[in-house]
Amino acid sequence: MRIRPFDFRVASSLANALIQLDQAGSDARVLAGGTDLVLNMKKKNILPTVLISLHQIKNLEYVEEKDDMIHIGALAKHADLATNPILEKQMSILCQAVGLIGSWQVRNIGTIGGNLCNASPAADSAPPLLALDAEVVIATPQGDRTVSIASFFCGPAQTVMKSNEILKEIRLKKPVNRSAGCYLKLRRRKAVDISLAGVAFQAEIDSSGQVLEQVKIALGGVAPTPIRVPDAESCLQGLSIDDALQKIPMCAQAAASIAKPIDDIRATADYKRTIVNVFVQRCARQVLTTLKK
Amino acid sequence: MNHMPIRLVVNGEDYHLSIKPNRVLLDVLREDLELTGTKEGCGLGKCGACTVLLNGRPVHACLTLALQVDGCEITTIEGIGGKEMHPLQESFIEKGAIQCGFCTPGMINTAKALLDQNANPSEQEIKQAIAGNLCRCTGYNKIVDAIQSCSCKSVKKEGEHK
Amino acid sequence: MSQLDVVGKSFPQIAAQGKANGKTKFVTDLVLPRMLYGRVLRSPYAHARIRSIDTRRATALAGVKAVVTYEDTPKIKFGPRSEDWTIFAADKVRFYGDEVAAVAAVDKDTAEEALELIQVEYEELPHVISPLDAMKPGAPLVHEDKPGNIAAEFKIEAGKIDQALDESYVVYEDNFYTNQVYQAYMEPMATLADVDLSGRITIWTGTQIPNMMRMTYAKALGMSPDNIRIVVPEYGGAFGGKMENNIHLVAAVLAQKSGQPVKLVNTRHDDFISGNPRVPMHFDIKLGATRDGILTAKDVKVVGAAGARLVYSQVIVATACYRVDSLYRFKNVRAKGYTVYTNTVPTACFRGFGNSQSTFVLESAMDELAVRLKIDPAELRIKNGIGPNETSVHGWKIASSGLRECVIKASEAANWNQKMKNKTPYKGIGLSCCNHVSGNRPFAREFDGGSGIVRIGKDGRVSVFHGESDMGQGQNTAFAQIVAERLGVTMDMVNVAQVDTDISPFGLGSFATRGTLMGGNGVLAAAKNAYDQMAEVAAELLKASTDNIQCRKGVFFIKDSPETRISFREVASQATIKYHGAPIVGTGFYQPPTELPDPETKKGNISPAYPFGCQIAEVEVDPDTGQVSVTNFVAAHDVGRAINPMATEGQIQGGIAQGLGWTLMENMAYQDGKVINSDFVDYIVPSCFDVPDIKSILVEPIEPNGPYGAKGIGEPALNPTMAAITNAIYNATGVRIKELPVNPQKLLAEMKKRDKQLKG
Repeated sequence: MRIRPFDFRVASSLANALIQLDQAGSDARVLAGGTDLVLNMKKKNILPTVLISLHQIKNLEYVEEKDDMIHIGALAKHADLATNPILEKQMSILCQAVGLIGSWQVRNIGTIGGNLCNASPAADSAPPLLALDAEVVIATPQGDRTVSIASFFCGPAQTVMKSNEILKEIRLKKPVNRSAGCYLKLRRRKAVDISLAGVAFQAEIDSSGQVLEQVKIALGGVAPTPIRVPDAESCLQGLSIDDALQKIPMCAQAAASIAKPIDDIRATADYKRTIVNVFVQRCARQVLTTLKK
Repeated sequence: MNHMPIRLVVNGEDYHLSIKPNRVLLDVLREDLELTGTKEGCGLGKCGACTVLLNGRPVHACLTLALQVDGCEITTIEGIGGKEMHPLQESFIEKGAIQCGFCTPGMINTAKALLDQNANPSEQEIKQAIAGNLCRCTGYNKIVDAIQSCSCKSVKKEGEHK
Repeated sequence: MSQLDVVGKSFPQIAAQGKANGKTKFVTDLVLPRMLYGRVLRSPYAHARIRSIDTRRATALAGVKAVVTYEDTPKIKFGPRSEDWTIFAADKVRFYGDEVAAVAAVDKDTAEEALELIQVEYEELPHVISPLDAMKPGAPLVHEDKPGNIAAEFKIEAGKIDQALDESYVVYEDNFYTNQVYQAYMEPMATLADVDLSGRITIWTGTQIPNMMRMTYAKALGMSPDNIRIVVPEYGGAFGGKMENNIHLVAAVLAQKSGQPVKLVNTRHDDFISGNPRVPMHFDIKLGATRDGILTAKDVKVVGAAGARLVYSQVIVATACYRVDSLYRFKNVRAKGYTVYTNTVPTACFRGFGNSQSTFVLESAMDELAVRLKIDPAELRIKNGIGPNETSVHGWKIASSGLRECVIKASEAANWNQKMKNKTPYKGIGLSCCNHVSGNRPFAREFDGGSGIVRIGKDGRVSVFHGESDMGQGQNTAFAQIVAERLGVTMDMVNVAQVDTDISPFGLGSFATRGTLMGGNGVLAAAKNAYDQMAEVAAELLKASTDNIQCRKGVFFIKDSPETRISFREVASQATIKYHGAPIVGTGFYQPPTELPDPETKKGNISPAYPFGCQIAEVEVDPDTGQVSVTNFVAAHDVGRAINPMATEGQIQGGIAQGLGWTLMENMAYQDGKVINSDFVDYIVPSCFDVPDIKSILVEPIEPNGPYGAKGIGEPALNPTMAAITNAIYNATGVRIKELPVNPQKLLAEMKKRDKQLKG
């Protein structure tokens, strides 16, 4: 598959990338790992005239703890995030999810920033980040701006980012008390498939250890963007774990009815909705059981 | 679209080329460097036949622009083993893990990267690693056996990059 | 038989080293000086009239050396078994993917860019996708001269079916559907074509049928077959899908026009939409049995989609009608088969060749009978299974049959009895048997059989020439083992030459699971001839008679006093000297004891040997999602004798993986007449996580007609898989799967319905 000709430019730093991107105009794209972008260029879905490659920028792959936040550099590779000890300890749901992206080959070069900016409604990194109330830091010619992940996505392949902006960092608040999370995705075989529907369930108990202080549920692949489902969350929020366990079916039903999946070649809307219900139940049970211990 | 200079270290050898930006690493390896061991099975990063090691990590060469790996170390199947075969290659041959052989270079590259990281992987870990390498001939049983029987053996062989 | 030194041992594949270190050149790796890159412009519509083609802009593009259309061809209608092909579409395109034009350019990018510059005006026509729709009155006609879109009809009947059904204790009647799946070999179809100054064409390609193909292509190009040479490099899989295809002819035409070698490699998308996928089939079946479970009669109707032109689908539909009749002791059978044109990818051979489709149906029906009669499914197979030295209802002479042993051994290994007794909800076990052929006399036209040439050089190096095809299954290794055994040499002394139709014997090719038996017997005959010539020289040197000497492990010796010996290599050297440089060349052929079937009754023994198998699958069904996991698999196969047990196991495991994919996840999807999942994102093949550990059991009754007793394994490896899994799903859930692939949503709905019924 031929890739249509383009100008290839290399950014020496994030600042340099911003300048080059601004100069290149709106037909330019930034290249991170390329597993989505190069694929789209081969399929002629995206036809940039200029590519600004970030491959020489080595200082955006970090996972750092600073005060009460965890900072993830946008160029961090999925394979590294999936096994990162800081994340595994404090927000393993993210590790679970990025560990399910594509194949090992894709995860070795694909970046979390790329996954978010590609903005597939089914992107695996999105539901966990939504459930973790992440923020994204966007570098712009006028300086950085921070956007909540909940307002980051506008539609399939659309984000709030302007064509001269670059995603720089994902920022997450460390859980205060014990928390647990679970991510499940619907696939057509047992490995390496895009997500036909994804469910992220993250819960944190309060300092007494009895009450679910935070319950966050996010869905992927069942709406034009990844979404949170607060009306489902409220079924369990504030309850004791035992009470919450009883209310799981209701919560799952609520989540399934909020979901707006479409029929496509991969699965029917009906089936995706059924799966949302099943996966919310399974995730919830697993998380609540973990927190009970 | 002008040609641009690129330096690739492939199987330990330095190559200085001048290529168009729209070329993927797979084509540069196969056509410019005539290293045809790496295969194109689908061109869209979904079969793993094009797997090469990029600084030791398996990636789909068909989805990687050559220029984005300028200066990097690439290992292809031609760089696995040397005068003597790598234990993985021997194992694949002895255990019947090769039928048509088209998936084999990619499969061995992925397996080598796994064993370099984890000399004694479980069956689950082996499958996690090779899940992105499709094989249509073998049903995978003998491939997993071949990789498993290589565990714990000396996996970094001298002459690997000759 | 006396002890074997080479046959029966698990030698590594002789080509494996080059494949493991990347040195082997596959078709897609070949380059020639001044080689151009070809690409085909394919129809974007399922059915349309071509109003005009303007290639001027493409021709003008720098780096383009040839642009061709129908006008550049001899405009001859041809086909492997029909005359409904043209190299390019003449006035109409008949499927999404049909060949419209082609370019050859100095690099791949230029070739693709040139394609985009060819302007074609189409007038879209109504299209028809389903063969059932295509048969209805008023359906769009794919070929104007084929009313009702009927490409072929097939009928077969033996015994008194209606009477037998009437007298049956139970008759199971139902309909089934097996969908269109794609071989998904890892190396796409590819070819390199070159034309010399005299106009002689050489085609390098991965093909299962180098000689048969040459005959077809000679007609297409309006030349003598002598002017076409086919060379077969190592290639990346086929499974039936690499037989005749227009890309070879397109490459030849481009080479003719440009005067340069042309390499044409299908993109994966092109391969999906213009390869030769499996014939999708609708089945109606009636299956009767006595109260004791003895089969009484079977009546089947098959409707299969040919696609837009005939490749081999009519033979496949016919095969689906009656091959499986020789699995059991049927006395009364009837079948009608319709091969129907549709505006879809032309369908053809895929591992099983109609027998896989019909085995799924029959073995599902057997399972239903087992339930209704309350007879254990394994027991039911044993009661009815055809045995050794029996003749089937269609006159097939079954010499060896290990079917019974396969069922018993598979059941033991799978703990069948215990698992059938101790049922766990949503977990199930299922069994399926199969039969197949080792060669198919009516498919080969002028003759069936095999032949070989065995050449022994002055240094003792043995070269084997055959005309079949190693598509990765290990054919060459099996031939080397057979020849090494017959000559009495070691494996390292034998090499198998690349098939080159200028040099190799006229082999019919690798299909119908014929390679090992037909080709194997052919090279065996040649090896015997070579041995006899060597023995003559050796006897003279050892001062003995040829009866008194033997060769084993590369050494000739006198039987009664083995210390009197001389190496094979030394004998070869002396022979070459004796014959003034002429090498020992053994030739030979195998004529199978088969017959062309009676044109009316179709009766006649069509194959020298019939392999059998029994597979048992265990599944777990997720009660909330309907997803199916295959957790365990046992396969017992009657292979006569395994020339190479490791390779035979590999074939079994690979066949099961493909059957599993077909059952659970593979489907070519059409929308508006177009294939919409022409990539590995949405055409799902099994990953390593989907295929369980497979235990293979080799049953070896030693087939009298096989080389060293061998039959074949290629297709039997897959035939039982689908029903083994769906029978297990039935065992797990009570839901009968009648359509492939299993749809988790439908299964879930059926399970819920069943739960409601059981509770309510």
